[in-house]
Amino acid sequence: MLNKLKNLKITWGSALRYIVGSIVIIYLVVRVLQTAFRDGTYGPDTWLRFLIAGLVIGGIYALIAIGYTLVYGILFMINFAHGEVMMLGAFAGYFVLEAFGSISMPGSSDPNLSLLNAQPVLALVITFLVGAGVSALVGYFLEKIAYRPLRGAPRLIPLISAIGASIFLQNAAQLLFGPQRRQYTNPDLLWRGTGWLIPVGEETVMLTYTGAFSFILSILLMIGLLILVKRTKLGKSMRAVAESKQAAALMGIDVDSVISKTFVISGILAGAAGVMWGIHNGLFNHYVGFLPGIKAFTAAVLGGVGNIPGAMLGGMLLGLLESLGPAILGIDFQLKDVIAFTILILVLIFRPSGLLGEALKEEKV
Amino acid sequence: MKLKKFMILLFVLAFAFSACVPEPVEEEQTEEVEETEAVEEEEVAETEETGADDESLPQACLDDEFGCAVVPQGETIKIGMGAPLLGDYSMFGIDISQGVSLALQMDDGFEGWSYELVAEDTGGTPEAGAAVANKLVTDPTVVAIAGHIFSGSTEAAMPIYEKAGLPMMSPSATEPSLTQRGSTVFNRLAFTDADQGRFAANLLFNDLGFTSIAVMHDGGTYGQGLADVVQAEFEALGGEVVAYEAVTPGEADYVAPLSAVASAGPEAVYFGGYAAEAIVMMNQWSQAGLDGVLFFGCDGTYGVEFTEKTGANGEGAIAVSLVPPDSAEKTAFDEQYAEQFGVEAGELSAFSWSAYDTGGVLIAAIEKVAFVEGDTLYVPRGALVEAVRNSDYVGLTGLVKCDEVGECNASGPTFYQVVDGVWVPLD
Repeated sequence: MLNKLKNLKITWGSALRYIVGSIVIIYLVVRVLQTAFRDGTYGPDTWLRFLIAGLVIGGIYALIAIGYTLVYGILFMINFAHGEVMMLGAFAGYFVLEAFGSISMPGSSDPNLSLLNAQPVLALVITFLVGAGVSALVGYFLEKIAYRPLRGAPRLIPLISAIGASIFLQNAAQLLFGPQRRQYTNPDLLWRGTGWLIPVGEETVMLTYTGAFSFILSILLMIGLLILVKRTKLGKSMRAVAESKQAAALMGIDVDSVISKTFVISGILAGAAGVMWGIHNGLFNHYVGFLPGIKAFTAAVLGGVGNIPGAMLGGMLLGLLESLGPAILGIDFQLKDVIAFTILILVLIFRPSGLLGEALKEEKV
Repeated sequence: MKLKKFMILLFVLAFAFSACVPEPVEEEQTEEVEETEAVEEEEVAETEETGADDESLPQACLDDEFGCAVVPQGETIKIGMGAPLLGDYSMFGIDISQGVSLALQMDDGFEGWSYELVAEDTGGTPEAGAAVANKLVTDPTVVAIAGHIFSGSTEAAMPIYEKAGLPMMSPSATEPSLTQRGSTVFNRLAFTDADQGRFAANLLFNDLGFTSIAVMHDGGTYGQGLADVVQAEFEALGGEVVAYEAVTPGEADYVAPLSAVASAGPEAVYFGGYAAEAIVMMNQWSQAGLDGVLFFGCDGTYGVEFTEKTGANGEGAIAVSLVPPDSAEKTAFDEQYAEQFGVEAGELSAFSWSAYDTGGVLIAAIEKVAFVEGDTLYVPRGALVEAVRNSDYVGLTGLVKCDEVGECNASGPTFYQVVDGVWVPLD
């Protein structure tokens, strides 16, 4: 018994961390209880609105977070330019939709009927394909240009290269497309601000078409990714490379090609997230990737970086924390990031490898 | 194009030659210098005379605390200005100087004397503001100052003009404390954020008849400052602020904070902040359950971008602008401005019209106190300072009537509402 205690090796630093963490948790629990027993500030309709908003944004965070996690799992580096990959996808999707909107439907008697509204499904499919394709290309070349030459270098160096690439892409987009905010023109089918009305008590809550669309699409993409990783040969080789690059190479796996493909896959997801962002939120500019990028990185860490279901869980959780957190704790909505990051720190204190992460091997840390 | 290049070449060559061949003209040049020195001495003598007891000056000038501005025949009555004419903020300075100079040009002049604007570059900085002020006070024909532009530059220049007795009228310096320092010379047409908040609360409570509103802001100095004023004023009037919420600027999803506001059931939502956030909020209005609740913005949310990007969602929203309501005079000014400067009024900054009124107010004050004796025009400086403070003038932007500390925008800001996708002045 005594030996066991000795083996626990509690240092002053870790003890202090645990004490502070516990105090914060106790405070949070007290605030939650206070809110729960206060005579309802928010009705059930408001809670449902918070929930919907959180799930939609959580889905987008999750898609971007997967990109961080895939790359980290294989290269053990944080690809800080990932948010910019998403931003370029958003731009690509915007231009496709604009093009569809400016062409009038051939053979139609109504000159105001654009191709966008005549063939909304086709337009959306092409928009997503182009958005994801552009982001995949950007991801591919990003790896080739910014990271591959630094493969053998100390780990800090590709990180700095990633930050440089991020700044470069942001400014390049500003120079190419201008600094003004742009707005997605959706087909009438998916017009922002329209949706199903759900009656809750005396109120009705709107579930927007764009929100439902984004959420379902992000879930489908995640399922697709899981199948790809678990069931296909490429997924198998990705897992093998993540396990050990040397061993995978000895087994005849082309490591460079697997790494390239990983960047392409994370680019596809980021591009889809960018187009979704545009369709759901509308406004964007060259800076749109920065904040979601940081949030998604947080989500990846929250769920356990390197772990794909972890990134999904982390993204959803972060989205819900942001919209429900301030309401549950009864504090100002401006402080939602404080709550999200407080939870992150708590998770890192008590589970340093994230919610679903396993303890990492020495090599990966 | 070719001609232009040729002219530039000619100029360069001319400069080069004048630098290279100084020998034969040296004598002439020194003579010229002597001459100008002599002229300067005369002028200096004149300016000294203005302060001293001299029989050649009219009695009104001798009685005046600051003496007189003396404008001989052939000279123009000058109005000074310190403004950022170069650099990052030059659009403000250029726009305002153009607006003022147009007002001076369009006036018929006073008894044969015409008006002229002397605009000096400050870059918007306090240091340059003081330097420009020191330069302008030495010119005996400068009678008043339209400006300065930017609060910092104005603040630095105020004590210098105070000593010289030059009245100021700023179309754009909004820092609230500028009028709280007991300055007799400083006045402004610009309305402060506090004024705007007061007028907004008043409109919400008295004219629109709301008794419970929500107040939101973006957490910035400007936005939160306005929101706090509106909250305090609205409660002072007897209304109730049922929710007070801040959003994080730069985000694209405000459904959660808006839903929280909606659950408190306000009749209107006041928002202090900029168009970027206001557009996002407007587009998520119905998702958050705020249908039928009025959006009330500020001068940060006004603009074409708001109507363009909110479309049908923005219908009915209210905001504030420096752009005055339409009138025959405004149309005439807009046309003249576009014709003379090649840009539309309001394109460079929203101050074009305030600048025009600034010129008008100063001219009206000068004409009240200036007089001609012999072939010289005299403007008693102390009397002019008082005349500007006592202005009672109706311009494009409404009534200009200063209170005891120099806040002259008596009619308040103009409120606008989105009707069929365009901003229309609110009655």
